[in-house]
Amino acid sequence: MMGNGKKKKIGIFVCHCGVNIASVVDVERVAKELDGYTDVELSTDYVYMCSEPGQKMILEQIQERGLDGVIIAACSPTLHEKTFQNVAELAGLNPYMVEIANIREQNSWVHTDKEKATDKAVKIVKSMVEKLRGNEHLEPIKVGITRRAMVVGGGVAGLQAALDIADHGYEVVLVEKEPSIGGHMVQLSETFPTLDCSQCIMTPKMVEVSRHPNIKVLTYHEVESISGFVGNFKVRIKKKPKFVDEDLCKLCGDCADVCPQVVPDEFNMGLSFRKAIYLPFPQAIPGAYTLDIDSCLGLLPVRCGKCKDVCDARAIDYDMKEEIIEEEVGAVVLATGYDLYSMQALGEFGGERYEDVINGLEFERILSASGPTGGEVRRPSDGKIPKNIVFIQCCGSRDPELHNSYCSKICCMYTAKHAMLYKHRVHDGNATVFYIDVRAGGKAFDEFYQRTVDEDDVLYMRGKVSKVYKEGDILKVRGVDTLTGKLVEMEADMVVLAMSMVHADGSGELMKKLKVGTDKDGWLAEAHPKLRPVESLNAGFFLAGCAHGPKDIPDTVAQASAAAAKVGDLFARHELLHEPTIVPVIEELCSGCGICISMCPYGARSLDLTKHVVKVNEVLCEGCGACAAACPCGAAQQKNQTDEQIFSMVKAILKG
Amino acid sequence: MNIHYYPGCTLKEKTTNLDDSTREAMAVLGYELVEPANWTCCGAEYPLSEQKISGLTAPARILRQVHSEGGGQVVTTCAFCFNVLKRTNVDIKRNPLKNKQINAFLKDDIKIDPNTKTKTTGFPPYNGEVDVLHLLEFLRDEVGFHTIRAGLKRDLSGLKVAPYYGCRMLRPGGGIGIDSPDSPVIFEEFLESLGCRVVDFPFKQECCGSYLAVSRPAAATEASYQVLRSAIINGADAIALSCPLCYYNLDRRQDRIKDAHAGFSGFPVFFFTQLLAWALGVAEDVLGLDQHYYNPKSVLHNQPKTEVAQ
Repeated sequence: MMGNGKKKKIGIFVCHCGVNIASVVDVERVAKELDGYTDVELSTDYVYMCSEPGQKMILEQIQERGLDGVIIAACSPTLHEKTFQNVAELAGLNPYMVEIANIREQNSWVHTDKEKATDKAVKIVKSMVEKLRGNEHLEPIKVGITRRAMVVGGGVAGLQAALDIADHGYEVVLVEKEPSIGGHMVQLSETFPTLDCSQCIMTPKMVEVSRHPNIKVLTYHEVESISGFVGNFKVRIKKKPKFVDEDLCKLCGDCADVCPQVVPDEFNMGLSFRKAIYLPFPQAIPGAYTLDIDSCLGLLPVRCGKCKDVCDARAIDYDMKEEIIEEEVGAVVLATGYDLYSMQALGEFGGERYEDVINGLEFERILSASGPTGGEVRRPSDGKIPKNIVFIQCCGSRDPELHNSYCSKICCMYTAKHAMLYKHRVHDGNATVFYIDVRAGGKAFDEFYQRTVDEDDVLYMRGKVSKVYKEGDILKVRGVDTLTGKLVEMEADMVVLAMSMVHADGSGELMKKLKVGTDKDGWLAEAHPKLRPVESLNAGFFLAGCAHGPKDIPDTVAQASAAAAKVGDLFARHELLHEPTIVPVIEELCSGCGICISMCPYGARSLDLTKHVVKVNEVLCEGCGACAAACPCGAAQQKNQTDEQIFSMVKAILKG
Repeated sequence: MNIHYYPGCTLKEKTTNLDDSTREAMAVLGYELVEPANWTCCGAEYPLSEQKISGLTAPARILRQVHSEGGGQVVTTCAFCFNVLKRTNVDIKRNPLKNKQINAFLKDDIKIDPNTKTKTTGFPPYNGEVDVLHLLEFLRDEVGFHTIRAGLKRDLSGLKVAPYYGCRMLRPGGGIGIDSPDSPVIFEEFLESLGCRVVDFPFKQECCGSYLAVSRPAAATEASYQVLRSAIINGADAIALSCPLCYYNLDRRQDRIKDAHAGFSGFPVFFFTQLLAWALGVAEDVLGLDQHYYNPKSVLHNQPKTEVAQ
C-alpha cells in the first residue's frame, strides 16, 4: 500500500467553474463516486472553488477534519495551484499535499458527451488520489543571492537598466564589446516624433553611467561564458587589449595624427575614415583612444611604433594582453541590441554596388551634425546634394519567402523622419517613399507621419520596388504603384533602404554560451509573451531593448527599466526559494551511466567521480523530469512524481 | 560521348539555328546529342496553379523516358524547356504529394511494343532520378570552361557582348535557377571563356515581354526595347541569350521596336551557342544567322577594334 502504509485523510473538492465544467461534467456525480474511495475522508462540490467562500470552505474542512491532503478538481494547475497551496498553508497543511485534478482544459472544454466526460472526470480525480497517497511533505529549497548584476550591452537599453539597478542600490557590471558605450542611439541624428537631438539626450546618460559609484563599466570586453544559477552566477569576461591606458590617455590625439593606417570608420558607417588608433567619437566613454590591432601595422616598434613615440602621457602600452576576468553576479540583463540586415542580401537594390544606395543608419550619420558631412545632406559618391531622393521601406522585412517574416517596427517612423529632415535641409528637393503600408502606432506617431506628408510634401507611393539600377550618373528606381496598378520608374540621386533589423548576435554564439533561449528569428525569447515580457525562461536572465525584438527608443527604455525593476525584485529577497519537486538520485540504484546528464537541459546533473554516481545541483534542477524518464535504473525519481506514483495513477485510470 | 539532349519544339521549327549551332558546337567538343525517343512538347509553361498537376505529366514523361534509356542527365538549351523540366523534376523529388499524383497519371500510360504492336500498361514510377541541366551548366561543370578556352579557333576578343539571362534560367531561386537570381555569373564566365569582352548591364535579368507579344504586343515591344537600349548604352556590340522566346522578342520583333522608337536602328542578338560554335570554328552557314531579323554576321566579321587596355 502507498503512502508509507499509513491511512491518509484526503478531501476532494469538485469545482463547477460556473457552467465551464458543470455543463459537460456531472460534478455532483463525480463528488459522489469519489466518496468512500480509498483514503477519501470527504468529497464535495461547489460552484467556484477559487472564490473567497470556496477557499474558506477548503480551509475550514482541512482544519475541522484534520485532512492531510486535498484534491481540487478544477481548471489547469497553471491557473490556481498557487491559490490552493496558499489555502493549505494557511490551514496548516504542507502545500505539496495539494493536487489539482484538471477536469476543465483536459475534459469539459474538449468533450460534449456528458456521460463519458463524467466517467473520465472520475478517473482523473481517482488517479490524483493515488498520486496524493504517495506524496511527501516538501519544503522549498533555499538559496542565497549575490546582490550584484551584470548588464550585457552598452546601448540605451543597457545604460538605462544599469542606471536603474545602480539607483536601487546594487552594484552593476556593464559589459560592452565596443571601445565606447553608447550603442546605435548615439549614432542617430534626431529622434522621432519630437526631433530631439539623439546625442544630446544620450550623452548625459553615458556620463551618468560612467560616474555612478555603483556601476563598473567594462568596454572592449566580451562575455566568454557563464556558470551557476539564478542569484549565483560566475561570469568569465574577455578583456580585449586597447593598448592604451584609459587613465593616462589625455585625448590629445597626437597618436592618431601620426598613425599611417587609414580604415573605414565604423561609427560613421564607413562613410568616413579613421586611423588604426582612434577615438570612436568625440563624446566616447571612456574617453581614451583604442588601438585596433586588426588595422595596426603591427606592434613591433621596428615596424611602426609612431603612436608610442609621440605619446607624451606614456599611455600607450604595446605589451597589453588579452585577459580573462571573473565576476560574480546574481542576475544578468541582456541588452545586446540589433544590427541591420545586410544590403547584400537584397542585390536587386544595388546596396553593395552603388555608393549612393545606403541604409538607414548611414543616412542617420549623413543627417547628424557630427557626421561626415556635418549634417548637410550630401551623397557619398561625389558629395553632391541629392535633389531627388527615394526611400524604400520594408527592405528584408515582412518578406517570409526570401527574407525576414517579421515587421521591423521602427522603419515606418524613421523613414518618415528621414524624409522630413531631408526636406528641412534641401527645400527644393523631392522625397519619395515606397511603402507597403505605414505603421505609425505610438504616441504622437501618426501625427508625425501626417506632418511629413502634409507639411513637408513627401510623396508616399504605395508599392514595391523591384530594382534599383544606374544609368550614367543617375539611379533609376523601378517598381509598381499598387494603387494604380502601374509600373513606375523614377530617377534618384540617392536611395535610402530601410533595412530590416536583425539581432546583433549574428551567429547566435553569445546566447548559446549563455544558454539563453531565442525565438525562430534569433531574438531573445521571453518567458511569457504577455505576462512575463522582460524575463527569460532561464531564471536570473532579463531582457531589454532590441535584443528581444525590434523596438523604438521609448519602448526600449521602458523595457530596460522594467528589467531593472525585476532585478530589484530578485535582489530584495533574503533568499531564493526553489521548487522542491526536483529529481534527486537514489545512489544505490545509480549505475553512473550518465544518460540523465545528457538529457538535462539545465546542466543540473554531473558525475560524482569518487562515488561514480550522478549528483544533482538542486538549485539548477527545474523538475522537468527528462532525466527520470531516461534513467534505465529507476535511480532518478522525481519528488512527488515517482515511478510508483505514476504506475498507481495509471492503474486507477485503467480500472474502469 | 553521347549525352541526352531535349531540344523542345521551338528548336525544331522557329529556331533551328539554336538546335544546329548547339549540335555542331558540342560535336566539336566531343559530345553527340541524343534525343529521348518519342519526346513531346514539355508544356512550355510550368502550371501557374499549384493544384494543376496535369501540366506536369508531359515533362515527367520525357524525364521518365530519359531514365528508361539509362540517362542520368538531360541537357536543354531552351530556357523555357529547362524551367519546366527542372521544376517538374524538383517537384517529383521534393514534394511527396505531387510525386504521388504525377505517378498516378503516369502509371496508366500505354506501352506499345514496336514489333508485336501489343499494348501493355504498368510503367515503373519515376522518382526524379534524372538531373536536368541547362547547357551552360553542362559546359561549366562537365566540359569545363577551360576546355572551351583551350579549343578556341576564332578570335572574339574585339566583341563586347551583353549576357542576357531573362527570367527562366534564373527563377525561381532555391535550387531551380542555374545561378543566383540577383547576381548571376555563369553566363559572364561562359562568354569570358570564348574570349569575348563581357558587358554588364542592369537589364540582364529583366523580362523581355514574354507572351505579352501575343496578348499585349505594345507592352512586349516596350519591355524588349528597354533591354536592348540598356545593352546599347552600356556599350555592348551584341546580346547573347539562350531562350527562343527572348530571341523572338529581342530580334524577330525588332521591326516593331523600330516603329515604336525612331532612334532605334536594330541590334545584333546571338544565341550563346552560335557564339560558342563560331569560336570553336564551326562553319558559318551552320549557324543560321540568316534567320535573324538583324543579321549579326557583320559584327562577327568586323569586330570593333579592341581599345587598348588601360
